[in-house]
Amino acid sequence: MSFSAILGAWIAAFLTLGIFSYLYRDNPFYKIAENVFVGVSAAYVAAISFWTQIYPNLLGRLFPKGGPLAFTGLEFDFNHEFNILYLFPMLLGVMMLISVFQQFNWMARWGIAYTVAIAAGLKAFGYLNSNVLNQVSASSVDIFSGSLPFFSLGGDSVFNNIVLVVGTLSALMYFYFSKEQTGNFGRFTRLGIYFLMVSFGASFGFAVMGRISLLVGRFNDLIEYSSADYNYATLGVLVFIIVTLGFWSFQSPERKEN
Amino acid sequence: MKFLEDIILKLGEVDRRVIFVLIGLAVLIPLLTPISLPVRETPTTVKFYDGIEDIPKNSKVLVSFDYGPSTRPEIHPMNVGVLRHMFRNGHQIYISCLWPDGIYMALDALEEITDEVNPDNVSTFNIKEYEDYILLGYRPGAEAVIKGLASDLRKVYTVDANGNFIDDIEMMDDIKNLNDFAYIYSGSAGYPGTFEWVKYGGDPTGVPMSSGTTSVQVNEVIPYVQTGQLIGLLAGMPGAAEYEKLINVPGIAIQGMAAQSFAHIVIVLFIVFGNLAFFIKQRRDRKY
Amino acid sequence: MLLKRYIPIAIVAFFGALTLSAWFIDNETIETFANDDATQFFDIIAAFAVFLGALNLLKLQFIKVLKQQSGWIYSAVAIASFFFAFIIGFFIRGAYFVGEDVYFSQKAAEAAILSSGSSEVVVPVDWGAHVQTDGSLFQWMFKYIFSPLSATMFALLAFFVASASFRAFRARNFEASLLLVAGIIIMLGRVPVGSLISSWTIMYILAFSIGIGINSYAKNRNIVFGWILGSCGLITGFGIIMGWPIDQPAIFFLPSLQEWIYLVPNLAGSRAILIGIGLGIVATSLRYIFGLEKSYLGE
Repeated sequence: MSFSAILGAWIAAFLTLGIFSYLYRDNPFYKIAENVFVGVSAAYVAAISFWTQIYPNLLGRLFPKGGPLAFTGLEFDFNHEFNILYLFPMLLGVMMLISVFQQFNWMARWGIAYTVAIAAGLKAFGYLNSNVLNQVSASSVDIFSGSLPFFSLGGDSVFNNIVLVVGTLSALMYFYFSKEQTGNFGRFTRLGIYFLMVSFGASFGFAVMGRISLLVGRFNDLIEYSSADYNYATLGVLVFIIVTLGFWSFQSPERKEN
Repeated sequence: MKFLEDIILKLGEVDRRVIFVLIGLAVLIPLLTPISLPVRETPTTVKFYDGIEDIPKNSKVLVSFDYGPSTRPEIHPMNVGVLRHMFRNGHQIYISCLWPDGIYMALDALEEITDEVNPDNVSTFNIKEYEDYILLGYRPGAEAVIKGLASDLRKVYTVDANGNFIDDIEMMDDIKNLNDFAYIYSGSAGYPGTFEWVKYGGDPTGVPMSSGTTSVQVNEVIPYVQTGQLIGLLAGMPGAAEYEKLINVPGIAIQGMAAQSFAHIVIVLFIVFGNLAFFIKQRRDRKY
Repeated sequence: MLLKRYIPIAIVAFFGALTLSAWFIDNETIETFANDDATQFFDIIAAFAVFLGALNLLKLQFIKVLKQQSGWIYSAVAIASFFFAFIIGFFIRGAYFVGEDVYFSQKAAEAAILSSGSSEVVVPVDWGAHVQTDGSLFQWMFKYIFSPLSATMFALLAFFVASASFRAFRARNFEASLLLVAGIIIMLGRVPVGSLISSWTIMYILAFSIGIGINSYAKNRNIVFGWILGSCGLITGFGIIMGWPIDQPAIFFLPSLQEWIYLVPNLAGSRAILIGIGLGIVATSLRYIFGLEKSYLGE
């Protein structure tokens, strides 16, 4: 194993166990790991965004090789032709950067307004088509044709389709707050609540499943780093953190939680 | 009976760090002592597998890596499995990323496949970049990127991840936009991901598509499966394990199922136990 | 007012209407602009927004350090980490090819050539490709610093979910009970251990649970005893007749039951939520385009 891989494993084990040390209580190891995460992730995303978007798609279009702005000495060859329209996002982008100063913080509004506009224009149609029209269309199910069995646990059946339609309608009706939910309407919406509760219960089950899967992944990495190939990184860091935290807890009883 | 109730009530007030230790052990012990549990395929996973089998051989397929290290344990096994399945069926794969971390996930997945050797120490997949796959890379912009791909791929990607011009790559000759793909797959951990691919990729173009999602997202995505907007679905790590079984290549998802199972049992016991303590306390409070 | 309010509102109205109408208008110029250039502008401005976020972060952390506010040392750690990653991302290529091998620096690559005695030359990776190259210094930072931190932050939630399951999730009423029961069935039915739990076990558990419920309401030992004896006897009888198959009756077999719950009642609820969200998003998007909603201005 190369030196960079071993060094990396020790750093990764330290940062991982530092985050996990929060389970004992808030402590300097956790705070260090948390702040490293904050700093590194900001710079990481900035670097990726610049080199994959601004560099080829903006600078490549404003300063192409042999373009009218080549006199500035800036030339970026990405097979683009000069496109003056790209001065608009350049202007908006620079205004966003200038907005970091308090007296110019209104300048970010132009860039934000543009992103809101595009997002609104895209989402209005996208959600209407995929979330509303397609879903409503799929809610028209086969109940009366006679080609389906009455009940089936695994596949299509008349009973399942009835439950689907009634459930969708009743749950949708629950969200209709323009009419007081009393009487028969109230009973129908109460049925909708039950369907929503089943849905939330399933979401809870899946959420637990997801979190446990992530924990499995982390433990797999820690087990890998505890091998001789990585000079027992996990074990070394674990002993160091436990000893230090034990000493620190002993030294600072006034910081103990109630 | 009162003695038992007292014990349950006392245990109900245990320090939360004890709970942390128990759940940690429930996950760690099965990982250290590998236990094999039978994996049972669900209909949505079978549908997903059949959907890929139905793609005409030697087609062009878009695979999007829309996840990062935080959700790698769930999505990565799926994506590696999908790449295996696709290469096995002779498809050409075009890899895009809507998440900045997705590019490294893609590199890792490709490395895992190219490093794989059969018992005779021969590479299982003799795949070459620019012949069997191309790494287009990451572009920020979420749904705007997908909309751009649906219209004109070259407006979004002028160079690939290695900095080579798209126009100079032979594999890109017949690709103008999403309509030129036979299938779209997104391994998605959130935004941007499955929803955006359905709304701006699959639905407007009509190109068959499917997705692998994290467990947290599954419930929100399932309506798309029933409507046929997604052909099947891989649901979290259990879905990845089922898919590994179907393609006959057991991987880390199947290995993690024992730990997943035991942790679930522990959490169910926590819920039952916690509610028992609650009911006992409630009954005692009502008495007085 | 013009620059701070009216121009942003006009931008939203114009570009929002243009993007929305591009879905419906069959005009090549509008379609090309809306589908290609307008979305590219969005991507570029989104990239600048990332820089704005980074600058704001630095500003806040620097203020904390300069004023030596509580926890300023950790802010110094955040600033140092930022510049460490920033320098790797912007000023160091970190990927020099010698054949197919990648080295972090020119020096290391040249040393490798010298030690191997090969005639290969050092090929530095292009700027831009260095953040997406396998084996680069940037990828090393991603793999051993960013990746473990990001993954562990999310994995931490598993412990808190377990703690919440024990301390907070209470079946206080029928709806909450329904939620918990659905959750438990999904959790057990979706994993391999669910298929190891026999449907007969579930039936016995159900019989006892109903017995406990009857006891709470009827408070008559004879009725409770009769129910438990009767139901268990019935279950045992059927089990003997059927030979105790693990997955029959299917309705009590957890994987089959969870599949039905997942694909029928759960789907109904999820669909209703999805439709509701869709309608809400459409209404909100139109409100932004028509200038009725101005929350992006901070109003």
